[in-house]
Amino acid sequence: MKTFKTSLKFIAFSFLCFTGITNTFAQDTLGNNASNPVGNLTNRTESKVGESHFMIVGLTTFGFVQQVTTNTYGGIKTKDNTNSITDADRFEFSPMFLWRHGDNMLLEFEPSFDGTSLGVNWADVSYFIAPGLIARGGYLVLPFGIYNKRLAAGWINKLASDPIGMDLPGSDFGVELEGGLPLGSMKWSYDVALSNGFQLNHDGTIQGVGATAIQNGKTVSGRVALLPLCNSSLEIGLSGLYGSLATPVGAIDSFKNPLVSMYAVDLDLIKYVGPLQFNIKGQYNISSISKQNYLDTGMNYYNFTNTTNAGFGQLSIRPALSNNKYLKNLEFAYRYVTYTSPSGSTWGQNYTESDFGIDYWLSWRTVVKCTYENVNFNNTSAAFSSSLPLGTSTINRFIIQFSTEF
Amino acid sequence: MKKYSINKKITIITICVIAFSGLFLFSCKESQKVAAKGGTQLWAENCQRCHNTPSPNTFSDEDWKTVGMHMQTRALLTNTERDKIVEFLQNINH
Repeated sequence: MKTFKTSLKFIAFSFLCFTGITNTFAQDTLGNNASNPVGNLTNRTESKVGESHFMIVGLTTFGFVQQVTTNTYGGIKTKDNTNSITDADRFEFSPMFLWRHGDNMLLEFEPSFDGTSLGVNWADVSYFIAPGLIARGGYLVLPFGIYNKRLAAGWINKLASDPIGMDLPGSDFGVELEGGLPLGSMKWSYDVALSNGFQLNHDGTIQGVGATAIQNGKTVSGRVALLPLCNSSLEIGLSGLYGSLATPVGAIDSFKNPLVSMYAVDLDLIKYVGPLQFNIKGQYNISSISKQNYLDTGMNYYNFTNTTNAGFGQLSIRPALSNNKYLKNLEFAYRYVTYTSPSGSTWGQNYTESDFGIDYWLSWRTVVKCTYENVNFNNTSAAFSSSLPLGTSTINRFIIQFSTEF
Repeated sequence: MKKYSINKKITIITICVIAFSGLFLFSCKESQKVAAKGGTQLWAENCQRCHNTPSPNTFSDEDWKTVGMHMQTRALLTNTERDKIVEFLQNINH
């Protein structure tokens, strides 16, 4: 633990050194011009033209969902049929504000309305210190896996919904260093962040704590990726996250120095065979929380192995190089999702999902998706309480979705 | 047992630092084949890693510069890649 704290101090010190060096050079430049104030003023006026720039982009996603849920428990089968326009789980309107100041500073802010609440996906400032070195601070998407940071946007996602279990670690307040660098004919990238971390809830789930952590522990997360082929068509990433967990207000005293560790491996491959573009993406996460005693609603202690596994593998095929102007806009996608949450907890389940999709691209950033999802899960929760339907459930879901980037 | 655990952590951190240092040192140079790539090729290769290749007419020259910086933070492009892609998009953005 002491070593871990020392590592955090080292990272913080390195970050301060980088920003300090940058500031020093910036002041040197100003100092050289101080002897000629008029020239300096002229230069500043000229250099300001076109340097500061503000723009709004963003995305929106909406659609229609028809869903049939079948549950079997104790030999009794029940069926539930629902449908919804602008389904709350898949609706999103997220303008993104970008402000570039000069060649080295970028501010990004993305509020998001998801149908039920207005939130913020990220709000951060990036400073491009040197080639291969970007520093960022604020409310940022933590570097972990490939899905959250790159593939979650509706106009990028080939299927209508997000794979379960990919939402963590999400966004948090922190500082980050990242960059992409050449490596001969290959390329590699790194991305490391120091953030406030999570809170351990009474039921063993974790959630972000926002700007004020209840204890002083912090979380380190990072991803290293290698692009071994010279055309950048293959990317393999490894991610890790480690940190202490805050305890909720009025926390039970059964939590003893809770720690979280997460690991992930991800893959991204693009390959052309004739007119067909093959696109393979995948990610597998393992999340573990140190052993704790939890309290049930009857104030009795219970415990379980708090490990969650989640993963998805996706293949999409598009005749992108076809001469037919309609055919080349079609894309076919398949995704398999697996998710196992802790048995013996109140949210334990074994979950699998198979998704089939046909997309039609109206432009490079506008798509209409038709997705069929087949979900199967069985409840593995503790006998005394469960947040999920008991027994075995099957969901057959059909979604039509429109998504665009603007 | 505790001492073993600390030694293990120190070893892991040391290996990581050496590996990172090595990567940074060897990252100074790209191969001639990669250096010879133009903006068109880099645009085609890198954008499609996550999404369809964007139409150059989508944004103005100034906006492409901003978008280039934003995409560099997401896709972790190298500086050379970003500059060449933005230059290509600006050149045919008319």
